[in-house]
Amino acid sequence: MWNPYRRIPALQRRLLGAGAVALVLGAWALVSGAGWVSPAKLPTPWGVASAFGRLAMPDQSGDSLLFVATKWSFLRVFVAGVLVIVVGTPIGILMGASPRINAAISPLVDPFRSAPIVAVVPVLVMWFGIGELTKIVFLFMGAVVYLIPMVRDAIQAVPRTYWISARDLGATPWEAVRHGVIPMAMPRIADAMIVSVSIMWTYITVAEYYNAEKGLGQLIQNARRFSAMDQVFVGIFVIVALALVTYQAMRALKRALYPWEAE
Amino acid sequence: MADEIPEAPAAEAAHAPDAGLHLSLQGVVQRFPAPDHDGEITVIDGLDLEARGPGIVMLLGPSGCGKSTLLYMMGGVRPFDVPSPTEGVVLVGGQPCEGAHDDVVMVFQRYGNRPDLTVRENVAYPFRFKLWRDRVDPSEIDRRVDEMLEAVGLADKAKLRPSQLSGGQNQRVALARSLVLRPRYLLMDEPFGALDAQTRDEMQRLLHDLHQTHPCLVVFVTHDITEALTLGDRVVVLSTRPAQVAADFTISEPRPRSTTWHRSTEAQRLEESILKTLHGGSGHGHLRVSV
Repeated sequence: MWNPYRRIPALQRRLLGAGAVALVLGAWALVSGAGWVSPAKLPTPWGVASAFGRLAMPDQSGDSLLFVATKWSFLRVFVAGVLVIVVGTPIGILMGASPRINAAISPLVDPFRSAPIVAVVPVLVMWFGIGELTKIVFLFMGAVVYLIPMVRDAIQAVPRTYWISARDLGATPWEAVRHGVIPMAMPRIADAMIVSVSIMWTYITVAEYYNAEKGLGQLIQNARRFSAMDQVFVGIFVIVALALVTYQAMRALKRALYPWEAE
Repeated sequence: MADEIPEAPAAEAAHAPDAGLHLSLQGVVQRFPAPDHDGEITVIDGLDLEARGPGIVMLLGPSGCGKSTLLYMMGGVRPFDVPSPTEGVVLVGGQPCEGAHDDVVMVFQRYGNRPDLTVRENVAYPFRFKLWRDRVDPSEIDRRVDEMLEAVGLADKAKLRPSQLSGGQNQRVALARSLVLRPRYLLMDEPFGALDAQTRDEMQRLLHDLHQTHPCLVVFVTHDITEALTLGDRVVVLSTRPAQVAADFTISEPRPRSTTWHRSTEAQRLEESILKTLHGGSGHGHLRVSV
């Protein structure tokens, strides 16, 4: 039991995981189904399922409300995610590779990891209006302050022997970083990217809080206004599912790109 | 230890002596800031060392006596946050050594192979740097890499990755990556220290063979007396910290050296003298004797 390094069989692992989920679902069904809690506070699982069905069905105009909302949320996370990676990774690499750059930039980045980024939304609205730009900027800021320090740490975690050895073999300092350090840090950098995209999924509802016409955050917001708790739950579950799918997809991509890491 | 190291045909001195090969350390002092209190630690204190011509010079001394620091100085790689050397002069081929030197290549105990590259790509790794790309054209690079893979016996493993190789094979890759540059000086920092005894024997034999075909001046740091006696044309014994040259032995017996020689009175006497020198300082060093 208390052996942290033990590998358990895959079947056992899946059964334990599925069992725990089933247990929580069962407890939920029991508590809500028995009428111990008002449906306005806790909908039943089957209520949520039927709400899911209703939201997923195409309406009069032929669009599925849920599908459109999901599409918009996904697009926002995708665009912001690409920006975070394209902008944040090079900054993190430069910070990791040069203590001077790190000293200059880290006071501008590190404190924001614990800053109440949600409180910045009204400011962003003032600056960028209530359109798409504010949402993307918010998601970007929320995630990039995590990505940059993680990328820097990934660079600095590479044993210095690789840099020294490259220098000795005739590399310029930058060549030693480029060929001796960055390739070694790539798996951890990929992990950092995965984490920052996961963080964006947690921020999507906040991003869509203001004046969103479409999106899962807006869907949740709207449902809450009409006390449709079943629909709120649908929105939450879809976000969790999307976050899981992107996480697994990125993990698979990472394993395909850096097969040597596990070896 | 493997007992039967077969005698190779006497190919000794098949190479022309290279008059230009010259390493010189003059009055070298190295001080580091003390880690846990103010002040400084003197690691090397006024060390003089001269080495000329192709050959293998063994630097033997207890752990932490500053052997690696000396090697870094000669390699021109300065990974420290303090000037190195603190005082004194390091000359490579008569020139002050102030930065990484094209003629000097180091081999470390940790192989430093890139895990994401194949064996072949690892051997060709230095040619990713502009310095060598400008000097060696692509067809020549391919030819040299093939030749080195052949020389270290990894031609059939060229497509594998480092994780698929043993420790000894990984060190062969590191050695090939260094020698592919045809360095005139090869600095080795306990390169075989992490290998098991049998693999170490094989690697020592390989180094001897490679030295025959690529005669260069090798400075080889070790704390293993047997290794020093197996490979060295010279064995320079360093004292405990602060390091100075405590003794300098010349071994005229040609390589590869047989077990018979290792058991000879000459070898035994040499070993005793080395041990005496080492223990003459301050108590026991961390030494292995395994003849």
